[in-house]
Amino acid sequence: MTLREAAIDLDTPAPVRSRQHAVTLGRVALAALLLLAWKLFADVAGPLYVADPIKVVQRIVADTLSGTLLRDTYVTLRLSAIGFALGCGLGIALPFLLRRLPRLTAAVEPYIMASVGIPKYALVPLFILWFGIDDAPKLWLVGLLVFYVVFIAVFAGIRSVDRGLIDMARVAGAGEAAIAREVIWNSLLPFFFAALKIALPRAVSAAIIGEFLVGNEGLGYLIEHSRQNLDTVGVFAGIVVATALVLAINALLVTVDRRVNAWRPTDRHMQI
Amino acid sequence: MTTLGKRSTIGRSDLWHRIATSLRACGDQILVLVVLVAIWQVLSMTLGSYWVGSPWGVATRFVAGIGDGTLLHQASYTVIEAAAGFVLGALPAVALPFALRRLPIATAILDPFMVGGYGAPKLALAPLFILWFGIGIESKIVLVAVTVFFIVYFSAQAGIRALDAGLVRMAQVMGATERHVARHIVFPGAVPYVFAGLRLAMPYAIGGAIIAELISANRGLGYLIQLGAMNFDTTGIFVALVATICIVFIVNWSVNAVERRLLRWRPVSDVTLQAGT
Amino acid sequence: MEEPLLEIRGLAKRFGKRSGRELAPWIIQDLTFSVSEGEFLTVIGPSGAGKTTLLNIIAQIDVASGGEVRFQSQSAPIDDLKALQPGLACRIGYVTQDDHLLPWRTTLQNVLFPLTVQGRLNAETRTRAEMLIRTVGLGGFENHYPHELSGGMRKRAALIRTLVYNPPVILMDEPFGALDAQTRTQLQEDLLRLWNLGKKTIIFVTHDIAEAIALGDRTLVLSRQPSHVAGKHAITIPRPRDVRGIMTHPEFGALYQRIRAQLQ
Repeated sequence: MTLREAAIDLDTPAPVRSRQHAVTLGRVALAALLLLAWKLFADVAGPLYVADPIKVVQRIVADTLSGTLLRDTYVTLRLSAIGFALGCGLGIALPFLLRRLPRLTAAVEPYIMASVGIPKYALVPLFILWFGIDDAPKLWLVGLLVFYVVFIAVFAGIRSVDRGLIDMARVAGAGEAAIAREVIWNSLLPFFFAALKIALPRAVSAAIIGEFLVGNEGLGYLIEHSRQNLDTVGVFAGIVVATALVLAINALLVTVDRRVNAWRPTDRHMQI
Repeated sequence: MTTLGKRSTIGRSDLWHRIATSLRACGDQILVLVVLVAIWQVLSMTLGSYWVGSPWGVATRFVAGIGDGTLLHQASYTVIEAAAGFVLGALPAVALPFALRRLPIATAILDPFMVGGYGAPKLALAPLFILWFGIGIESKIVLVAVTVFFIVYFSAQAGIRALDAGLVRMAQVMGATERHVARHIVFPGAVPYVFAGLRLAMPYAIGGAIIAELISANRGLGYLIQLGAMNFDTTGIFVALVATICIVFIVNWSVNAVERRLLRWRPVSDVTLQAGT
Repeated sequence: MEEPLLEIRGLAKRFGKRSGRELAPWIIQDLTFSVSEGEFLTVIGPSGAGKTTLLNIIAQIDVASGGEVRFQSQSAPIDDLKALQPGLACRIGYVTQDDHLLPWRTTLQNVLFPLTVQGRLNAETRTRAEMLIRTVGLGGFENHYPHELSGGMRKRAALIRTLVYNPPVILMDEPFGALDAQTRTQLQEDLLRLWNLGKKTIIFVTHDIAEAIALGDRTLVLSRQPSHVAGKHAITIPRPRDVRGIMTHPEFGALYQRIRAQLQ
């Protein structure tokens, strides 16, 4: 037994099951504490700054029943979906295209990487100026954000494909399209999925923030509009729903990821 | 022709080939730059400088803005918001995992909350912070702080978890106390991870400041962008964007320089850290 | 009769219950031996004989399941996890198989590390550290980081890191195992030279019989699990030893055969 193993062996606490109970209890207690603190802040700071949690719940229920919340959520999600599709499509297609033009890729790559540094949100006013005040500027925003995430991942994924596999496929008579489909696509799937996990929630966030800046529908509009009307309950309600939405998408992705990639050895360091 | 002569000719031509290739690549990149600027110029001329500020117009306005100090003045607000928020968020994010190092139960209890905080869209809180702290720099600082906190927290935690237990035992045999272990082993070992987290969070700091300014502000680069949009002044928008890119470059360069110095001791093949996209 | 410096009586060790399994088998059982002051004791045994575990227990890194460890006529608390004193207040040094050099410290800083931690860093100890660095041939590499050093250099650094604070007893766990023959021989010579300077008590674990004979005053042979002392062999080859040519010494062959027979 090495020094390291001996050290780890001695440090591991012995009873595991009671520890699990303590942790769960602690989590529930902390959640309850946070809710209590929220209520306390609401009473102390006043209705302008902190909305009463009970009123927030009532508002969410009321808006759901009246349909406005569902409408707003639908608008935001639709925006995210279309923007995601656009950005994702281009983000996948472009690397495949560039793959066949290595000289162009080498020439263009530094500029693409440099453009990553531009905060895409900063471009929204420009998009509003150029494309109007409907969905277009928001779609550009979401599309761009998704594009960069997917592009970089797919680009890296294609680069890391095993040359030997490609050569083998060629020898076996596969044409370019078949190689792209069979070898390259499958090799870069893990990169793509990793990018999806980041890009999907980000698409929804981007849609919401886009709605802060332009438009008259959607969850982001709801939040910002409420703020302008000093309707704090509305602000809190919108934030709660938006947060819940993104967290739900996150959770869904994690579950799907676990199912689809069940055969891969998990990396213990990736806890998220 | 002797074999020796043949070999030396090939050796020389191989080196020359490599030089020629990298020169060509450089040339390609410059060509692309020229093409991009040319396209920009053409768009500006055909669509009118209202829609697309011309490269020359942007360049002159940019230089003028630096000369009379106005651009720097506005940029300083954004930079201060990003920097102050960054520090405000990063310090507790690094301190918390350290403090809870010996209390794994506390860390376990906190974990789902931290994951939730990380996954939740912090930028969606911007209007709330503006409601609370007004349209001045305070709301932007808080937004940046909250965003940076969750990113750096997980990196710091990874750094502490990556602790080499063998090193700790070795130090204990040599008489190290708990404080010694924390100071000489836990802390330096976590630095590369924390640093990776800081690098990851940096673009979010700048981006967050600007987004908050876009929503509501009366100072800063984001404010300049909104101003330009309201006045149909695309040149002004481009100038602010160029300023933003410059800041990003400077920050990246400084971070790289600091990393090279700080992490001299890292073996070159250390690929444990995967920075996110 | 004077009590030996270190005495192991009836040591026993088995690892704790893991979930699902019954009582684990004994790793060490009824292990008894003693070490005199200034003695160079080599310990040899088949793999898995628990040699590292034995050293871990002596160094107070790990608990024992039974038996006694007496150091300087005092019984060490080896069965109580919480009472363990790693290194027994710096009286027992431990050179492990992995060098465990701190990657973020230079060679010199690594060697100074125990002194820093023990609060004994001053001009005199610093000079001593620098001298040790030169003695093992690491002069000029004081400001290098571990990743810039070769395996052999790292082992040397780890070795003098323990020597620098002069613990009376030094445990060494196959320190030269992963090195090439040339480096190993060099380090064996260096070690003997350093041991001669300070006359420390050394317990040196190895799986190499030739190494055990070349270095030790006495060699203990451990049995397979559950480990106990299978034999004790006095190495009658006089000092100073010729490490490179040890195999040519007339007494070597017989010693080698005796020890090897016991290892089967």
